Amino acid sequence: MNALDLLLLTSLGTVLFSVVFSASLTGRMLLTMLYAVQTVILFQIDAGTEMVSSFGFEIFNHALGLSFNGLSWFFALITLGSAFFAAWYGLNQQQKLLHVGLSANVFSMLVLLSAGDFLSLFIAWELVSWSGVLLMVLGKQESLVATLKYITYAIAGGMAVFAGIILIYSWTGSLAFNAVTENPLSLSQYGTLAILLIGGFSVKMALLPFHLWQAEAYALTSGPASVFLGAISARMGLFAIVITMMHVVDLKTLDSIFLIPELFTFRDFLIWVAALSIILPTYTALRQNDARLLLAWHGIGQGGYMMLGLLMYDQMGSAGGLLHVFNYASCQAILFMSVFSILHRTGTTNLNQLGGLVARMPLSFLAMLVGIIGLAGLPPMNGFVSKWLVYRSLLSDGMAIVFLASVIGTLGTILSVYKLMHNSFLGQLRVEHEHVKEAPWSMTVPMMLLAIIIFITGVMPGISLELVANAQSAIGLTPVDYHLGGVVSANSAISGDLDMIWVVLVLFSGFGIAAILFLSAGKSRRVHQLDNYAGGHFLNANNQYQYSDNFYAGLMHIIKPWYRYSFKWFEGAVVSFVNLAAVFSRSFFNQAHMLIWMLVVVTTVMAVAII
Amino acid sequence: MHIGLGELLIELTLMPLVAFIVGMLMVLMMRRVGARLQRRVGPPFFQPLYDIIKLHSKETQISHGLIHDIGIIMAVGGYIAAETLLPVPGMNGIAEKGGLITLLYVMMIPSLGLALGVGQCANPNGSIGISRALTAMLAYDIPFVIVMAGVAFIYGTTNLVEVINIQQEGGIAAWGAVQMPFMALAGLFALQGMLGKQPFEVYVAPAEIATGPMVEMGGKYLGGLFVMQCFQLYTASVLYVTLFLGGGENWLFLLLKAFAVLLIPISIAFLFPRFKTDDLVRLMWKWPVLLGLIGLVLINYR
Amino acid sequence: MKEFPVPVQTAEDPSVKKQSGNIFSNVFDELVRFAQSRSLFMLHYCTGCGAIELPPAMTSRFDMERLGIQPMVTPRQADILLITGYVSVKTLKRVILTYEQMNAPKYVIGICSCTVNGGMYWQSYATAKKLNDYMPVDLYIAGCMPRPEAVISGLRQLMEKIKIGEANSWQDYFKRYDYYLGNQQRLFGETWQTPTDIIGESKHYSLHTPETEGEHTRLLELHQRPLEPLEMRLGLSEKTEDR
Repeated sequence: MNALDLLLLTSLGTVLFSVVFSASLTGRMLLTMLYAVQTVILFQIDAGTEMVSSFGFEIFNHALGLSFNGLSWFFALITLGSAFFAAWYGLNQQQKLLHVGLSANVFSMLVLLSAGDFLSLFIAWELVSWSGVLLMVLGKQESLVATLKYITYAIAGGMAVFAGIILIYSWTGSLAFNAVTENPLSLSQYGTLAILLIGGFSVKMALLPFHLWQAEAYALTSGPASVFLGAISARMGLFAIVITMMHVVDLKTLDSIFLIPELFTFRDFLIWVAALSIILPTYTALRQNDARLLLAWHGIGQGGYMMLGLLMYDQMGSAGGLLHVFNYASCQAILFMSVFSILHRTGTTNLNQLGGLVARMPLSFLAMLVGIIGLAGLPPMNGFVSKWLVYRSLLSDGMAIVFLASVIGTLGTILSVYKLMHNSFLGQLRVEHEHVKEAPWSMTVPMMLLAIIIFITGVMPGISLELVANAQSAIGLTPVDYHLGGVVSANSAISGDLDMIWVVLVLFSGFGIAAILFLSAGKSRRVHQLDNYAGGHFLNANNQYQYSDNFYAGLMHIIKPWYRYSFKWFEGAVVSFVNLAAVFSRSFFNQAHMLIWMLVVVTTVMAVAII
Repeated sequence: MHIGLGELLIELTLMPLVAFIVGMLMVLMMRRVGARLQRRVGPPFFQPLYDIIKLHSKETQISHGLIHDIGIIMAVGGYIAAETLLPVPGMNGIAEKGGLITLLYVMMIPSLGLALGVGQCANPNGSIGISRALTAMLAYDIPFVIVMAGVAFIYGTTNLVEVINIQQEGGIAAWGAVQMPFMALAGLFALQGMLGKQPFEVYVAPAEIATGPMVEMGGKYLGGLFVMQCFQLYTASVLYVTLFLGGGENWLFLLLKAFAVLLIPISIAFLFPRFKTDDLVRLMWKWPVLLGLIGLVLINYR
Repeated sequence: MKEFPVPVQTAEDPSVKKQSGNIFSNVFDELVRFAQSRSLFMLHYCTGCGAIELPPAMTSRFDMERLGIQPMVTPRQADILLITGYVSVKTLKRVILTYEQMNAPKYVIGICSCTVNGGMYWQSYATAKKLNDYMPVDLYIAGCMPRPEAVISGLRQLMEKIKIGEANSWQDYFKRYDYYLGNQQRLFGETWQTPTDIIGESKHYSLHTPETEGEHTRLLELHQRPLEPLEMRLGLSEKTEDR
């Protein structure tokens, strides 16, 4: 029994444990510890080499195996980390389904990450899809609706994947990962597989145009579930897409499938899908007035960066894409935690009904500040490093327009995260929130730990880049040339290095000098928020003196018409098509069933007899 | 290109200091030019310094809370750090460890700090100002990013030290403004937006939203913003000179070029009224973006 | 009607030592006063007449910016509160709020005769007559209306006073708050209050004297909700409460 077996067994044990013991606080504490134990076991696995599990069985003469490599290791670490923090954050949540769902998700994800062939990949994929449902139904009525939508999308995606895998089997006669690489197919076959597999997996990843389900499904459920789902769940789609690109259609093949002859390849198409997946959801997030939905929409948008980085498939781009999975997971987790601690204390996440909470919930504010700097990709937090890598790679490849698209996404992120923070923590404290308290320790401690992780991996990206380098060599790329403070890019088309340690050092000495200047100029006198300029008006506690609704009025005036019904029409068209098909088949069975069936049976029997 | 730690430390101290002094001169020039255009005399030579000293020596320093203080520290400190990423004659600071993209992002930190500080002031005028400032940033950064991509393609690097070297070795013919005139023009638009001067002064708008972000700032808080303005003028104009006008062969040329570049937006500023926010966005996404895209096409088919 | 004592203008009280936590103002006293005199941000409150004389003073004919005087927008930014023309009772409330929100050292300039003694509105029921009953005034520029030359020369006098360190009448508002508040209450009624905390501020500057508080401030305390700054607090609760 090796470390991988132990990991999978512990994970399975955690599921059983959560079924029995998650009702008590001690049980939940132990459950949190169990995720830590799994992480420790994970560290026993050498990320640099491939480890094969001793579990495995045969089905139709096909050996199903489980194995772990650097890529799986990287994703597994993020999964376990997210689960650990989510479980800690949810110590006070008594819903049993939450804890069972969390452990079931972790287990199924680990199985998916260690899938060794297409069949086990598909089985684990379905497991992941269905265990996700457990975490999505924990909210109010609206979460059920969202979950139903998710199930519809997930089934469609699963079917596409299934069809792709069957095609692989029928064309190559094997389900092993090396089936396609050993039996080269024709370009049209590659194209079909790419559409089915990448299309199917991108439903989970919520790439355009399959993104409509995700925001509600992830945001409207219970807090810890949102933290986990938002941080890592959708990235399983990315993992599966990487597997597809590694074993079925590599990027070179994708680049030789022309959608418009001599002009536009399948890879270009995917790059544009990724770029649009950055822009459109980000600007949808800008319109949201519910903090949870705002974050969830950003989750979809950030997925585009990862996809974009991987599609570059060079040293820097893929490193950026993979690193962004880690960085984004930490930032999204801390942001969801902060927002749900507001919900826990004030009972609302409506951004138009909050404000000024920094005076009452300073730790949650700090968490959100770290999170938004990271999510927006500004130094000194970790989000900056991964976005920098993606940008550099786009510039080196000469993709100016896609580069522009990704920067537009970042700017949109900055705008909407400032709105998020301003409307909840800054501005005027409302009368009804005068006596709000900071979230309990069980919520603030994981937030602070995550904040430290985000900062440390921002200053010393070498720590996380090491994991990324392992993952890169596992998928057959040259690992990125990293050191503790950043990256060296001697051999790319456009040169330019990054050393975060220096940047951050100088940044903080800048802050230090500014602080000395600031503090030397005398002591400040704190005043009450109502002692404020209002053009001579006398403010009192009943004045709502806060600007939050329609926050970017000038911008919205222009861009509102642009995305009013974006992609709703697509979903609507699919729904009406399915409806139509359902009506036809129902009327077929309702009205003519006896005669038709008899006819069918008779014809078949006669046909068989004649033959 | 290996220098001792002590020398580096001296550079890191000198670069922001010089930036601050030059920035004050730039503020002075801006006010003098404005005065001359309005047929006035304008302020005395040391006026920017008097203002900053006076604001820092006020007896009352009204604060709305810790974040208000931290915001101002971030706003000034972020620019102090940004100056060390911007190479000037004889001093490279840590420009080689960051590059153009890092500089662009470090320059967003002061704005973020200011936005934080203003947010805590609990004044809707300030919040409106910030929402407009961020909208303006979205507007002018799009042409600016196109310009940045063009610069990276044409010089083959995002390292500003190399950008300067390539231009200075090739003489005037290698200058960005000669190599890519459309980009240089688009860059001027972006510069005007970046400085937040009329006609793009949407977020200060004294008569409309009571100076927006500065509404609750007094004493050293306002003083910090005055310091920030010095840095902002310096950074924007020197960055433009670095990208398009070959940087500075020596300090004299650098300053000449930087002041000449700055003269363009501030002369325009005092001749125009203010746009509405949505008009600003519309204009920025139309003409400079068009110019930038033409420039990109020209670079690709060069 | 109650009698109010006529204020006695006392010289600088030597017993109250000027305390300031400000390194700049301690070390570079001279320089700071010079800079303060050469950089004056002006908030003009021109709801009465007389505002028409300010544009010439600011623009190309006389150009205040030569002296470092600039118009500003909000009370927080301003050093000078410039009040032109008559002040109606309703306006005066806003003027007082604006004055209280300004950052010290702050100076008040009353322009036109109406601010001095009510001027031609002396008999009006709706105007406040003497501005210095309600707030300490540094400088009056009399005339109906004073020409821009007079405004400029007045401002130069103020600059001179600041330079030699005599423009300290803002301290008087904190030292004798009760007196000013009394006058304000007489005009606006007993429920008069502003959303500012003058007594707290006087303690902050160590300008709290026996005359700061008195019967009028006690009247104020009866109905004023204390406006203490919102302190950042963790307010962590016991775990039992959250479960």
